[in-house]
Amino acid sequence: MSYCVHCGVELDDAARRCPLCHTPVLDPNRLQNGETPPSFPQRREEVLPVSKKEAGLLLTAMLLSAAVCCVVLNLFLGRGRAWSLYFAGAAGMLWIWFALPLFLRRMVPALRLTADLAAVGVYVYLISLDLGGAAWFWGLVLPLLGAAEAAVLVLSLLLGRPHSLLTRFVMVLCAVAFFTMAAEWSIDRYVRGTWSPAWSLVVCAICVSLCIPLVIVRWVPSLREEARRRFHI
Amino acid sequence: MAKEPQAKKWYRLDNAGILYSALQTEQYSAIYRFTAVMARPVEPQALRRAIQRTMPRFPGFSVCIRRGLFWYYLEPNRRSGPFLKEDVRCPCRPVRFQEDNGWLVRFYYYENRLSLEVFHALSDGAGTMVFFKTLLAVYLQELGVEMPWGDGILNVEEPPRPEELEDAYLRYAGERALPLRFPPRAYPNTGTPEPFYTLHVVVGTMAVEQVKARARAYGATVTEYLTAVLLQVIAQRQDRENPLHKRPVSLVVPVNLRSFFPSETLRNFIITVSPGIDPSLGEYTFPEIVAQVRSYLKLWADPHKLRALITRNVGFTTNRFLQRVPVVLKNPILALNYRLGGTRPYSGTISNPGQVRLPPQMAPHIDHVEVILGQATVPRSHCCVVSCNGTMAVSFAGTLKETDTPRDFFRFLVKEGIRVKVTANDPGY
Repeated sequence: MSYCVHCGVELDDAARRCPLCHTPVLDPNRLQNGETPPSFPQRREEVLPVSKKEAGLLLTAMLLSAAVCCVVLNLFLGRGRAWSLYFAGAAGMLWIWFALPLFLRRMVPALRLTADLAAVGVYVYLISLDLGGAAWFWGLVLPLLGAAEAAVLVLSLLLGRPHSLLTRFVMVLCAVAFFTMAAEWSIDRYVRGTWSPAWSLVVCAICVSLCIPLVIVRWVPSLREEARRRFHI
Repeated sequence: MAKEPQAKKWYRLDNAGILYSALQTEQYSAIYRFTAVMARPVEPQALRRAIQRTMPRFPGFSVCIRRGLFWYYLEPNRRSGPFLKEDVRCPCRPVRFQEDNGWLVRFYYYENRLSLEVFHALSDGAGTMVFFKTLLAVYLQELGVEMPWGDGILNVEEPPRPEELEDAYLRYAGERALPLRFPPRAYPNTGTPEPFYTLHVVVGTMAVEQVKARARAYGATVTEYLTAVLLQVIAQRQDRENPLHKRPVSLVVPVNLRSFFPSETLRNFIITVSPGIDPSLGEYTFPEIVAQVRSYLKLWADPHKLRALITRNVGFTTNRFLQRVPVVLKNPILALNYRLGGTRPYSGTISNPGQVRLPPQMAPHIDHVEVILGQATVPRSHCCVVSCNGTMAVSFAGTLKETDTPRDFFRFLVKEGIRVKVTANDPGY
């Protein structure tokens, strides 16, 4: 019979340390008594993570059947126009968004984001094919999607690390400013052929004017403490 | 031999069962475990026969869960099982409705330990206690011990009675419901979570008489006394960790409604109340905490109030709009509701299924009984108290690495002069 010298509780004969404070048990008599079976079993049950493949297959079957039905119908109805591409493309995009993560459990978030945006890009490309809009796709949509991916990717990488609320807010504002600039650049290049920043500068100015005081508050301890005191919840 | 349940093809879940089914994920376990520590090592063959004889008498436990469009429901499980297994280190593994042939009860044995695990959607502690005692009696019969029926042990030769499957919540729900309120956020008392499917269990056993004597010294019952001890140790932990911004410390305490509303149901018939203290108002001495818990629990021992609480809880199952919301949409709503109203306002749980009264023929064969609760939605310890044969077992189970709460709890009891023996499933053995 052993007792924990810190907790004062009696310990199990098989205990090598106190389960409450982890103090080792030093009982010379126990060596003479031999090994005592532990009170609780020590066998670990192997538990596999839940498989989501069934749900993925079901979703795949549903989307595939919808897409195939539309393509077959297109062969008989409205043959002059490839309207079924809208539905097949949407089904493909939904498959990338919702079914693919069910099959690939450990998909890197950056890869998933890229795949999701690529799916959007392909879908819009199919629409542009039907509408004869290759110019606006390459000149406008693709740069916008690229800018969105860059902004969200960098932001998600930065926000994935521990940061204060103020720092996070500053990062989001910077991302908004970057995307706005990129959007106006893409639109100007497509419409006028040259970049003449206007409205995006207004948005950027607002973001910067919000960021500067936040950065100052973040880095000056006395201000940070004052803000914490005044805005505590 | 008991007959199969006659005409009943499926069962609606009671309102507690609906909640537990909606919450069930890989990160939460609504499974709890009853363990009898026997005087002799468990004989698996005899236990297998006992399970086969006992299960048909309890149709409420011989079910699997199915998902309908609007609600989950239970139906008799015709597949083979439930199977007796060798026990594992981490008990109360979260249930997966499609695995284990759909069984929602599990049986384990290890050395002298005979364990039963039950999904909370089927039954509460009082209902499971009847099932467990009957199983133990049949097991002892299989070993050749003369064991009479009665004393909370059901005759497995008789058919099940309809009142055992009653949804008592619906029977006792009244007209007026208490308004829905979300209490303020409490000190969470959480810690560092362990990896996938690790549950730390610490069990302290002590003499019931010693605990009763200390509780009497404060003018309290055992439940009130132990609740106060747990509140005190959690408040002290908050003092150490966050002395400047103190939150309320509050516990979930299940109340067996059978004490207030007569019912023979073996399904869920409990409700939770939440005694607590607010350390931001000043420091509480231990006798003050006991007095606070005592007056709070007395205030809630009012059938009118409890009926209004039942009515409120039953309200969402009878609400015509919610009834028509598909279960896939209802589950996240219930989970959010549980997070706001069932997790954030509390610092822990203490459950006391009560005293396990054994007939004289059974008592020499059972040393004591332990009850362990499954993992919470957050890494936090759940406490459960049960007494049997003059021994009280207080268990703490949780997925967190830190042992502050059980350590301070048992140290407090030792300082009070109670002799405590501690065992754990920790791998340090």
